[in-house]
Amino acid sequence: MKYSYSWLKELSGSKKTVEEIAELLTFHAFEIEGIEKNEKISDQVVVGEILEIQPHPNADKLQLTRVNVGKKELSIVCGARNIQVGNKVPVALVGAKLPGNFEIKEAEIRGVKSFGMLCAEDELGLGDDHGGILILDQDLEVGTFLSKVLELDDSVIEIDVLANRAHDALSHVGMAREIAALEGREIDYDYDGLVLNWKKTPKMKVSIKVEDGEICSRYGTAYLEKLEVGPSPQWLQNRLKTCGLRPINNVVDATNYVMLELGQPLHAFDADKIDSKIQIRRAKKGEQLKILDGSVKKLSSQDIVIAEAEKVLALAGVMGGFDSGVNEKTKNIILEAANFNPAMIRRTRTGLGISSDAALRFEKGLDPNLTEKALVRVVEILEHIAGAELVGAGDQYSQKPKKKIVELKLDYVESLLGIKISENEIRKILENLGLVIEKKAKNWKVEVPTFRLDLETQEDLIEEIGRVYGYEKIPAIAPSAPLQIPKINPERNFERKLKNILVAEGFSEVYNYAFYEEKDTEIAQIHGQKHVELANSLNSWQNLMRISLFPGLLKNVRENLKNFKEFSIFEIGRIYCSSEDILPLEKKRLSGIFVFDFGKKETKKGGEFFQAKGYLDNVLKNIGLESHYYHQLEIEADQKYPNLWHPGRTSEIKLENSGQKIGVLGEINPALLKKLDIEKKVIGFDFDLKELSQISQGEMEYQPLRKYPTVMRDLSLVSPQAVKVDDILSSIQALGGSLVLDVDLFDIFDFEDGSTSFGFHVVLGADDHTLKGSEIEDILKKIVEGLEKEYQMTIRS
Amino acid sequence: MEEKIRKIKQEAFEEVGKAKNLDELSQLKIKYLGRKSAFNEILKSLKDLSNEEKKIIGPLANSVKSEIAGFLEETERLLEIKSFDWAAEKIDVTIPGQKIRRGHLHPLSMVRNEIEDIFTAMGFEIADGPEIETEHYNFDALNIPKDHPARDKWDTFWVKNDSGKERTLLRTHTSPVQVRFMEKNKPPFRIISPGKCFRNEATDARHEHTFYQFEALVVGDDINVGHFKFIAQQFFSSFFKKEIDVRVRPSYFPFTEPSFEFDISCSVCQQKGCSVCSGTGWLEVGGAGMVNQEVFVASGYPRGRYQGFAWGFGLERLLILRHRIDDIRLFHSGDLRFINQF
Repeated sequence: MKYSYSWLKELSGSKKTVEEIAELLTFHAFEIEGIEKNEKISDQVVVGEILEIQPHPNADKLQLTRVNVGKKELSIVCGARNIQVGNKVPVALVGAKLPGNFEIKEAEIRGVKSFGMLCAEDELGLGDDHGGILILDQDLEVGTFLSKVLELDDSVIEIDVLANRAHDALSHVGMAREIAALEGREIDYDYDGLVLNWKKTPKMKVSIKVEDGEICSRYGTAYLEKLEVGPSPQWLQNRLKTCGLRPINNVVDATNYVMLELGQPLHAFDADKIDSKIQIRRAKKGEQLKILDGSVKKLSSQDIVIAEAEKVLALAGVMGGFDSGVNEKTKNIILEAANFNPAMIRRTRTGLGISSDAALRFEKGLDPNLTEKALVRVVEILEHIAGAELVGAGDQYSQKPKKKIVELKLDYVESLLGIKISENEIRKILENLGLVIEKKAKNWKVEVPTFRLDLETQEDLIEEIGRVYGYEKIPAIAPSAPLQIPKINPERNFERKLKNILVAEGFSEVYNYAFYEEKDTEIAQIHGQKHVELANSLNSWQNLMRISLFPGLLKNVRENLKNFKEFSIFEIGRIYCSSEDILPLEKKRLSGIFVFDFGKKETKKGGEFFQAKGYLDNVLKNIGLESHYYHQLEIEADQKYPNLWHPGRTSEIKLENSGQKIGVLGEINPALLKKLDIEKKVIGFDFDLKELSQISQGEMEYQPLRKYPTVMRDLSLVSPQAVKVDDILSSIQALGGSLVLDVDLFDIFDFEDGSTSFGFHVVLGADDHTLKGSEIEDILKKIVEGLEKEYQMTIRS
Repeated sequence: MEEKIRKIKQEAFEEVGKAKNLDELSQLKIKYLGRKSAFNEILKSLKDLSNEEKKIIGPLANSVKSEIAGFLEETERLLEIKSFDWAAEKIDVTIPGQKIRRGHLHPLSMVRNEIEDIFTAMGFEIADGPEIETEHYNFDALNIPKDHPARDKWDTFWVKNDSGKERTLLRTHTSPVQVRFMEKNKPPFRIISPGKCFRNEATDARHEHTFYQFEALVVGDDINVGHFKFIAQQFFSSFFKKEIDVRVRPSYFPFTEPSFEFDISCSVCQQKGCSVCSGTGWLEVGGAGMVNQEVFVASGYPRGRYQGFAWGFGLERLLILRHRIDDIRLFHSGDLRFINQF
């Protein structure tokens, strides 16, 4: 909220500069959003009276005025049309400096001399109104400095009042009480004296009925007659403008002024436009109201309304009705100051989408005792500025709050804040905030005034003590805690280890959003699968919670191909699987992508896949997995949506012993990539993180180094037909027996006639002796003969 | 005999000196020091000499042998060096090295690791919870009941719900983990709960609907505001690798009482004033406070039995401060031009 610095100073008695107040509040109460200092207007701008207006001889759009500025009369050319003889207006004399470094000089305008300028609001830096010359109060004395008249030395201080203090601090009195307390004083303001003289005030002519105390705990009214509705005096307008409100007329302005002063929103009804019977009730289904801004709202029983027998007059606490509002013809008004149910006001505001200063205050709760004080102040002001007469008042007060006593243990103050504050100091702090201490032993009974709704518990009081005393005075102290090693989080450790391994293999890690759109589900074989859906997504392309990381990763590929020819990326993140339970099942997945730049080189068929497989094997070995194998995954080519995986180039990764499937490695379906405008071969892999972590556990066991040398021999063979390499490898192993320690494929080449050439490294060795040449030859012969028999393979010459 | 030895020496030095390559040299080695060499013959015949002669010839033969051996070795070294064509070997070392794929951890992972390491060193356990939460854990248990105006502070993504069961949402903070942990554990304890959070707000260079939060919770019998200050100072000093001061200002959160905003002394300018701290010397980092007794009660602890503090901050904010990143959306862009800088 925007506060007037001069108003706060006046109420709090503070002598501090606006910056000093800002700092005080920052460290002890609220954050400051900003300070705006009004640019001081030069003393060369004074109040002038227009004596004469004549047309400009040479220009249709200009007028020639004669203006009395006190000591002399000046001739001034003016373009605005809103002036009349007798108006009091701001006059910038020759030599005046206006905002924007604009200096007024004697000038000749279309052949006529002009000795100064009549000013519009914006030219004085007072606002942005350029509608015409600013017409001042008729009572102002000609020749006085404008800065004096308009209280232009004021500054605006915008304070971010915390949500739990809206009920008291969104007002100048509340903020002034805070400032005084922070300066070590009690506010000097007769708050308790704001009471209506009920004995002298007749009862309301209008009957008022509140449906129940739950919707409205207090409804105060005042009936005022014989008003003259018109513009408010300058001082009132100035304060409203300083606080960011637009002056409308004296009645509305007075209610707004009191809202800014005390924090209680008020409403004025034109008494002649409503019946003599008013109800405050829940709206009925189907009821409608045209509100002040001209729009029509459909109401529900969530909303509280002020209504006559047949018609809704106002949306209680949120906005008045269009038809019962005050205008310049209004003579008599009913003023309302009430206390409505905060939760209902909040629901109305959010439900109907109407916001107002009143609603924002009501929904945070208000002191019920404010209503009478606010009425008294508005009546006072309207008697003064609109000639109003109070002819009746009413007060429906069903739920008077009980006296609120909070017990405060002094030991707890020290224990929670971590500093000892003297009893005397604590008492002073609480008393300056308006609290009353009843007993002064070690356990105090503190009475909290109704204007501090937020103070309910001991901790609330300790917060008041701590912040006023100053958090900066609390020393940093090491807590005493058991010296023990924290329990480790194995899943988290595994995730970190895995990420490091992937990075070592050249992967970059990406983070993608947890949601995507329907269209993305066509990627990743998840179209039509059940998704957790957002009820209020930001936009239509972020409404489904992901069940696959691939839509995000493939977009990453498309975007990064604009800048990179080859890369590998991975993401470890959660997917959200619909379940019968309240919460979906969240599973962490590891998915990744390889993009290789093989250039124009002729490469072997599926070369990208095998390169990726090599990298992935390194990763799996590094997490302690040796015994896995790749099983050809048979995928039928889907019709409507291309599969994520290439039907002929995809493998399931399985564990050797159990056959348990642990993940997938495959080429991403080129038909799908085409849709995504990706023209390269892309290899992807996908794992469930938890499963991976479970199988990777277990300590690795050291293998003794071989005592006798090993030999490596190459076998180059040609097979006339397609054979799975995995099968050949197993055969070599089986044929060679225990002396074959390792077999590796180092070369593979397809001939045009359909035959394939293979090159294998065979490592041979024995545990108990050095192999003799003849032994080696025998084994190799056995292998070659066996392969020939099994696969018709022949030695390549 | 003496004469013979000197002659062999002379011959050997002459021939070895003329050797042109290592092959020739190895032939000479055999010729002069091999088993069948004239010199070896002499050494073998020493045993037939008289004692007098032995005394003279023996040492002479040995010293000449080692002289020849030494000269052979020296020559071998020279010839070895000469055997390369150094001019032809020369390469241009300024040619760029072969491009090896280099991996990059996402900066959010890096900073998360760092933070976890600091906290685990101080004895904190790492706790975790779901990213899709119930209304209860995200709001009610944290003393933010329905219709509480404070709920406006957390713009929430709600999950479509047609089951009639409890409403669920994308967690707006990591604080639900506090309650979940306390339901299963008794004080004293100290935990951290890092993780992904969501706010339903439009994105721009400074706002992101998906972000990472870090939260620490310490609960015991007598944990106080001073302890929070201490742990925060320890953490930030360790993180920024310099002395960092922590400043506490009043704030309001329903789940803590008292509540604070906390600032740290500017990690860039040593409080001299710079563009990062806008000349104030302080950086706004996060929120904190003493755990509200309502939260303890919602977690199943007796009211008034324990005291604790909780504090949280955004990981992105720390990275933005440290690396002067000017667009928060980069973190979730998947753009390798960004990620590969870390």
